[in-house]
Amino acid sequence: MENLLPWGIRAVTLPGGAENGRFHPRLREWGGAVIGGPGNMDIKHILLLGLVLLTAASVLTDVNLPSHRRRYPVLHWVTDDNPARVVELAPLKNWLRRHRYPMFTVHLDFANDDMSKFVIQGVSGDADTLVDTFDDDLDYLHDCNLLYNLTPDAKKMGFDLSHTYPAVKATVVRNGRQYLYPTNVNVLDYWVNKAAFAKYHQPPPPRTWTFAEFQRIGRAFVRAANPPGRRPKVFFTNSVDTRIMRRSLGLSAFNETLTRCTLADPRYVRVLRLMYRWTFVDHLLPTPAEEASFATHPGYGGPDFQMFNNGQFAMLYTGRWMLIQLRKFYKTTGPVPLAVCEPPYGNFPNALLFTRATGIYIGSPRKKLAEYFLKYLTSRAYNMQIIRDGDAEPPNPVYARSRRFLDPPQYPNEWGCTAVEVRAIQTIAIPRAYSPFVLPWTVSRIMRTDAEAGFMAGIYTARQAASLAADRINRHIIHNIRHSQRLRRLYDKLRRRQKIIDCLRKEKRKVPLRLITNPFYRRYYVAKGWAR
Amino acid sequence: MRRLLRHRGDLLAALAFLSPNLLGLLVFTLFPLGFSMVMAFTNWNLRHQNMFKPNPVRWVGFDNFWRLLQEADFWRFLGNTLFLMIGIPFAIAGSLFLAILLNKESRGGDRRIYPLVISVVAVLVSAMLLGLWGMGASAMELLLGTTAGGILLLGAIGGRAVYRTLLYLPSFTSGVAIFVLWKDLYNPDTGPINLALRPVLRNIQNVVRSIPPFWPRLGLWAAVLLMVAILAGAFRRLGRHWREGDLGTGIFLSATGFMIIPTITAWFWFPKVGAAFLLTLLTAAIVIWQWTPLAGTRDADGRGGSAGGLLLALMTLPALFVVEGLGIVCFNLPAQAANGLHAPSWLASYYWAKPGLMIMSFWIAVGSNNMLLYLAGLSNVPPELYEAADLDGASRLDKFRHVTWPMLAPTTFFICIMSIIGGLQGGWDMAVAMTQGGPAGATTTLSYEIYAQGFQRGAFDKASAVAWIMFVFVLLATLASWKFGNRYVNE
Repeated sequence: MENLLPWGIRAVTLPGGAENGRFHPRLREWGGAVIGGPGNMDIKHILLLGLVLLTAASVLTDVNLPSHRRRYPVLHWVTDDNPARVVELAPLKNWLRRHRYPMFTVHLDFANDDMSKFVIQGVSGDADTLVDTFDDDLDYLHDCNLLYNLTPDAKKMGFDLSHTYPAVKATVVRNGRQYLYPTNVNVLDYWVNKAAFAKYHQPPPPRTWTFAEFQRIGRAFVRAANPPGRRPKVFFTNSVDTRIMRRSLGLSAFNETLTRCTLADPRYVRVLRLMYRWTFVDHLLPTPAEEASFATHPGYGGPDFQMFNNGQFAMLYTGRWMLIQLRKFYKTTGPVPLAVCEPPYGNFPNALLFTRATGIYIGSPRKKLAEYFLKYLTSRAYNMQIIRDGDAEPPNPVYARSRRFLDPPQYPNEWGCTAVEVRAIQTIAIPRAYSPFVLPWTVSRIMRTDAEAGFMAGIYTARQAASLAADRINRHIIHNIRHSQRLRRLYDKLRRRQKIIDCLRKEKRKVPLRLITNPFYRRYYVAKGWAR
Repeated sequence: MRRLLRHRGDLLAALAFLSPNLLGLLVFTLFPLGFSMVMAFTNWNLRHQNMFKPNPVRWVGFDNFWRLLQEADFWRFLGNTLFLMIGIPFAIAGSLFLAILLNKESRGGDRRIYPLVISVVAVLVSAMLLGLWGMGASAMELLLGTTAGGILLLGAIGGRAVYRTLLYLPSFTSGVAIFVLWKDLYNPDTGPINLALRPVLRNIQNVVRSIPPFWPRLGLWAAVLLMVAILAGAFRRLGRHWREGDLGTGIFLSATGFMIIPTITAWFWFPKVGAAFLLTLLTAAIVIWQWTPLAGTRDADGRGGSAGGLLLALMTLPALFVVEGLGIVCFNLPAQAANGLHAPSWLASYYWAKPGLMIMSFWIAVGSNNMLLYLAGLSNVPPELYEAADLDGASRLDKFRHVTWPMLAPTTFFICIMSIIGGLQGGWDMAVAMTQGGPAGATTTLSYEIYAQGFQRGAFDKASAVAWIMFVFVLLATLASWKFGNRYVNE
């Protein structure tokens, strides 16, 4: 039985391997369906041919890779898929040329913007040279020893901590070593759509407010904006930040020496209850179900920016980077009159400082070139680009003072907004407290996913949620110190300090500031006059 | 020797052909398998040991396992995994039902096709007229009418191949695409599921409000009686198997234990203690009634099997839980109707996220390979058996019970085992694409936990331990199939 295949190769079916005459003698014993050919073209040759073709294709692909054709070395930068990123890179080439630095090209890598991917690639020895970190990432990367120590060169080349905000230190330095330089800096505040307030004849909110004022103004707004008896469609805001609220009552997630989680505290319980009340009773912010029902906006930032622009959220808890997308909306809906106010406080105004910062992969062969990129982040060219495109605050505070940044001439509706954020960064912003004994990722998961979401879903009471968070985090701490001699030694040392602090506090005496490692308590103790 | 040398060339050629596959198996399956087993007994965490942090990896024995077993989260995630598996019996039953339907030819004759064409046109015209009139005829109704009509028409023209293709469609669609689709279907506000549920719930609400609360609450007591009836039927069957020597005493007792779990949970879940008490009382009576044969002698002195008992327990347990749940819903209905019945928030709700994923899994599973396996099984049933049954005057149901079902036993058992294994390993893709394991960990399964531990926290030690615990469950299920499968199939 013969079937003609392309290129003249014949498929010869051999029932039992014996009845057909024209096949390669060796195939006789294999039986069944085989492929033979007129000129000794059996399956082995086809396989070899395939192998040769595939090898040739691989070589050709490799030779034609864009990186091979570049005149300059290419550095890959793992960063978030932000439309501003492309324009932020635009001045790099000229800047390098002007300063006669070695030339290189930076390629954006949005596909690997997931820390788990970077870590797996990194520990396998092949990751992108530049990596953006955000919030919790530094501790994980530092623990894995995947970041290059910048300290010696940072001072020499001019991208050390003297070229950024003092509050940034805790987010880029570990064990006295600088591992990152910020690409931008931000605090989260409430951005106010003044038109939404005007539409429902409500006065715009004050710049600072207490929990009670926030609740009163929010209730009045939701009542005015939604018909009675119906499910609200217009909300006061999109979210509240329990971390800032808790800190404003004088409670950090960890104690003064970061050796113990202190969330099992009535102050945290109070904050959780407020969050529940504002969500399910007062409807100041959407419930998880309502959030799930918002249609997803395909652009940068998802549906929240669109809803804020439309006035469905009167306020948005976000940073200046929202302007990247909001300015695009201006073209169709016109500019929205904006204001910025701080989150509601208990008795200690504070703000959370966020930094998107870039580090260098320790295994990269182009570490020295990458340092020039970090130097570029301190430059006027880069910082002015950040100012122009609205991507948060520039990393170099020198440029945050410019009038063009604070009151951009082409956007009068934004005047006064950025100044509030800059003031917050310079005065009340405090970074998150990271305990060296537990991964921030674990803390976030326990606090947000287990305790807070569990409380909001009605699985736990507020008190149970607070105890659960503290118990679980403390259990992780105990496990981690049990398995690491280095951590155990550090823990014992800090526990001794903690005992001294507790004794001093009990006797109502001032505490030496050097004993306190938690950045929040360092500021809190000074503000309260408890430190010396 | 000469013969060996003569064949050496052939041997080398054969090895060359096999080598890519063997190498792949060795490098990508066997080595990682062995490696992960070693990892489970060490303290290997990327944070402490990697190529840039060359600390020694320590042997920790069973530490990782003990620690896991002491963690409340592990048990919660195991519970989530098992909860999602409740849908398996329903999916198997659905696959069988579909396979039986699809085994029949649906192609219409020349004359039969005309009424169908007319019906479809009528449906389309009616839907369009309603739409034009604005009488609640939304685009959805129009689309639904057209789709249903089109499918009927295609089925009449193309025969069963059309339906087989349509029902198998989810199996060759990308998983992520399906998850995104279902995420939209589950949208609490604009999703078609809630849009369809809303008028139904409104009507139920009106009916419940218009009648005295006593009647819907009676549903709880009806559920108790129904559960007792199911238990009685199952225990009776179990007892018969034991007496006939088809079931070992150990399995008889274990299956009994399994089946009284809903009675125990009733004490925690039932809103009326009286109902739980009644259920317990009646269950105890049935158990005593069924345990009586244990005191007597067996009719047959068989070695005893367990597959039948296990399967019975496996099928009965979900049915009991469903009835129990319905009873509770009925009891709470008047109070809920007074506040207004709302469609669920599905994926955003802690209590509805798991059932939401279960419903979607059911939809994927009914038309999947299980259906194809049943179709293949059905085609292997000798027609003479049906002819003989016809001669004996058997009804359709009798033919199913006494011919189809026993002949499909090997297929059913294979599907059961594969579904259990798949269920234990599953849930990761759904959780990643739809819920991120939330809300509040409601949809975090063991496979998602392996991913979270290993890739998000670098804890390869713990991730491997979870994987090997999961492997033990899968192994137990597989051993059950090896040990009892043949015996059950030959019963």
